[in-house]
Amino acid sequence: MSFNHIVIQNIVRDKWTYISYFLSSVFSILVFFFFLIIAFHPMMDAIDTNSTLGIVMILCSMIVYIFSFVFIIYSMLAFLKKKTKSLGVFIISGASTKQVRKMVFRENMLIAFAAIITAIGVGLIVSPLFLMVVKNVLEAESFGMYVPVQAIAMTFILFSVLFFIVSQITTRFIKKEEAVQLLKADVTQEKLIRPTPWRLFLSILVSAVLLLPLKESPDVVESLGIVYIMMLFISLLMTIYIVLTQGILFTIRRLQKSASYYRKTNMLFVSNLQAKGNSHAHVIYLLSILLLAVFVTTSVLYSSYYNVEENTEAVYPYSFQYISHPNNPIEKEQQDIEFMETTLEQTEGDVDAYQSAFKTDEDRRIGFLSNTLFNALGTHEAIALSDNQYYVVAGNAGVMPNTDAIQDYVDDPLQYVGLEERMILVSGFRAVYYVIPDAIYDALNYPEYHVFAYELEEWTEKRDIAEKIESQLMTEPGERYVSSKISLYADELFVKRVIFFIGFMLSLIFLSAAMSILYFYLQTSLAGEKEKYLGMRKIGLSMKEMRVIVTRELSILIFVPFTIAAMLLFTVLFSIRDALSPAFFQMTTVGVGIILLLFTLSFFIIRKAYFKKLVA
Amino acid sequence: MSDIILNVQQLHKDYVGEVNYKALKGIDFQLKRNEFVSVMGPSGSGKTTFLNCISTIDRPTNGSMTINQKDPYELNDEDLAKFRRSELGFVFQDFNLVHTLTVEENILLPLTLDAVNGKEMTSRLAEVVRFLGIEDIMKKRTFEISGGQKQRVAIARAVIHEPSLLLADEPTGNLDSKAANSVMTLFQSIHETFQTSLLMVTHDPYVASFAERVIFMQDGMLYNEIQKGDHKQQFYQEIVDTLTFLGGGYHEL
Repeated sequence: MSFNHIVIQNIVRDKWTYISYFLSSVFSILVFFFFLIIAFHPMMDAIDTNSTLGIVMILCSMIVYIFSFVFIIYSMLAFLKKKTKSLGVFIISGASTKQVRKMVFRENMLIAFAAIITAIGVGLIVSPLFLMVVKNVLEAESFGMYVPVQAIAMTFILFSVLFFIVSQITTRFIKKEEAVQLLKADVTQEKLIRPTPWRLFLSILVSAVLLLPLKESPDVVESLGIVYIMMLFISLLMTIYIVLTQGILFTIRRLQKSASYYRKTNMLFVSNLQAKGNSHAHVIYLLSILLLAVFVTTSVLYSSYYNVEENTEAVYPYSFQYISHPNNPIEKEQQDIEFMETTLEQTEGDVDAYQSAFKTDEDRRIGFLSNTLFNALGTHEAIALSDNQYYVVAGNAGVMPNTDAIQDYVDDPLQYVGLEERMILVSGFRAVYYVIPDAIYDALNYPEYHVFAYELEEWTEKRDIAEKIESQLMTEPGERYVSSKISLYADELFVKRVIFFIGFMLSLIFLSAAMSILYFYLQTSLAGEKEKYLGMRKIGLSMKEMRVIVTRELSILIFVPFTIAAMLLFTVLFSIRDALSPAFFQMTTVGVGIILLLFTLSFFIIRKAYFKKLVA
Repeated sequence: MSDIILNVQQLHKDYVGEVNYKALKGIDFQLKRNEFVSVMGPSGSGKTTFLNCISTIDRPTNGSMTINQKDPYELNDEDLAKFRRSELGFVFQDFNLVHTLTVEENILLPLTLDAVNGKEMTSRLAEVVRFLGIEDIMKKRTFEISGGQKQRVAIARAVIHEPSLLLADEPTGNLDSKAANSVMTLFQSIHETFQTSLLMVTHDPYVASFAERVIFMQDGMLYNEIQKGDHKQQFYQEIVDTLTFLGGGYHEL
């Protein structure tokens, strides 16, 4: 019997201990592999790695990989804990710690390679279906099937390295004393939660102090940058943990003092909660954080998806906009406009046409409009200026313009009457526009640009028209500037769809990680629980009473994290409610509702399966 | 009320598996009210199976069994659980205490499940605890007390609801002789004080000699029985003789 023989027999003879670990590894790898299949798709070459989408893709791959790393470490430790007792048998029969480590390391690597190969195999089989889904979700025809050689190679290499490192690290956690101790004592008591009022107070204080500048003085936040964010993040994570454990302790104490403690199954339930307080708290904490991540990714990414139309209109106000440079020959301009108008006539629905002009100081990128010319751009409320007044319009979306540079161009100072922050022309074309009385405008000696703008009904549906016009009329610097919010919207929508899809995958990863953590936890404690309930059944605990206790315990493990995550999410959303639309709140609520439904469903499934295993 | 508390007729128990095995091959047995009987026999003779069938932990393959004229196997799960905690008391070799509960809570467990009111709980607890002499360890956890103390706690739990039949499976199996002796003295005084009927499985002739009657099992059948006479010493000698005669698989002697 060689050493490797023992390793293999360990796995084969005890497959159920290994299978959960194997499956969660396969799952992590599979998700990462799918991610790479999209990332390395030939179609994705079109995306610039410096664009938002490129950065999001890289960032997400990193998150998925780091997450897999953490998750696999967690699975491995949970698995190791489950195995400690059997390792004790090896140690007591004379294996050195080094040998046991070597054994566990080999076992892990064996499982790791099996998991990697299984994941890639399953991935390849499912990938055509997956790409079809992607194609439909992204509405991108070009997302066809391909052989993802790069994805296979990268998954294989990265996860081999990952498993190698993780196995090396985790085998260090095998402690001889602990394993032997486990072998000797049939009952080991985990540490109870201690009351730590000072830590609780301090953590809340620190988090509160760190949160304060977020609302009160944004400049402090800006100057500290990433350091501040990290500090806040860590402090919040710690505070949530401490509040959670202390909250559980407080609840247990309250329940123990309550009059109904000695009634029916209450005592069994509460004492069980107390005895497992710490490990319950860990699981609840992990699940809460993962769920919060799920909520935030779906919610934030949805919000970006949701506002595309608004955001597009904020930078490109018109369906089509044609700005003619003073150097553009008048014949050409007329020819272009004629082409545009005849093309637009072919569409269904109304077309509103606007014609205007502005003079400009090229050096300072300042535009001037007369009152009449401004009113001719129909998307804004008309204004009426008297002889000595002026009005300011921002030239870049989201940037406050200089409001008094106009005084440099007039003899008598003009009076400032107001500011329009919404764009009247494509964002960034000029830094600022000043609307001045017609007489003053006529007197200004600067070259004049002609503006032709068209607004279509149901413009988001008119992509074909946009393509037709843009294929003929392209921007020619120094002559004409053509822009359309229709094509910008289509491009943005695609980007947002990809991001949304990635976000959806991320939240799926977090969600399934949460589920596997729960699964591991229940699996690990199953043997002990089974014995406990068997003993109690002997002295007269009915199935029904047992079901009551199990139901309560599982609902705590499943619904408490959900409640905590939902509460945190809505607290955050409420504190930034001014920046959010009511529709966003509605959608978030629907999203949380769907996850609640999923949780309730899995609660019933888990309860049934767990109960079945308990009484088996 | 009948004089017979436990009536077993033609009890059979077969284990079906890769190898079929007949553990009990037709046992007839009666336990009178307020009687203390020990069951003895070599390993594998079926004595624990017999006790498990009576305690409704194992379901017999064939035969009938009544406790207080009631057939527990006709009850559904919930009523069976109620039946167990009202009619029966259990003492196990491995104590079977709930580790998450304190000693006090362990003793109170059958009463809390039956939702007995607090006042009665307190008075019954006080009585039982005084009787067993475990006042000092009430707030302790189960892993903080010795084996002998654990068994006392288990006995307290078994008798707090005043069961009509107390069943014990090797109650001294995990105890040293001193603790065993004191546990057995306790059983005897419970038997005398509370008029409890007692059925106990043991392989120790000394422990068995505390009973009024000893029945011997071999190969799933009742083999013999001995009534206690006037002298405990003589009773003990008879038990040892019978076991020697049974011989064979009886390694423990």
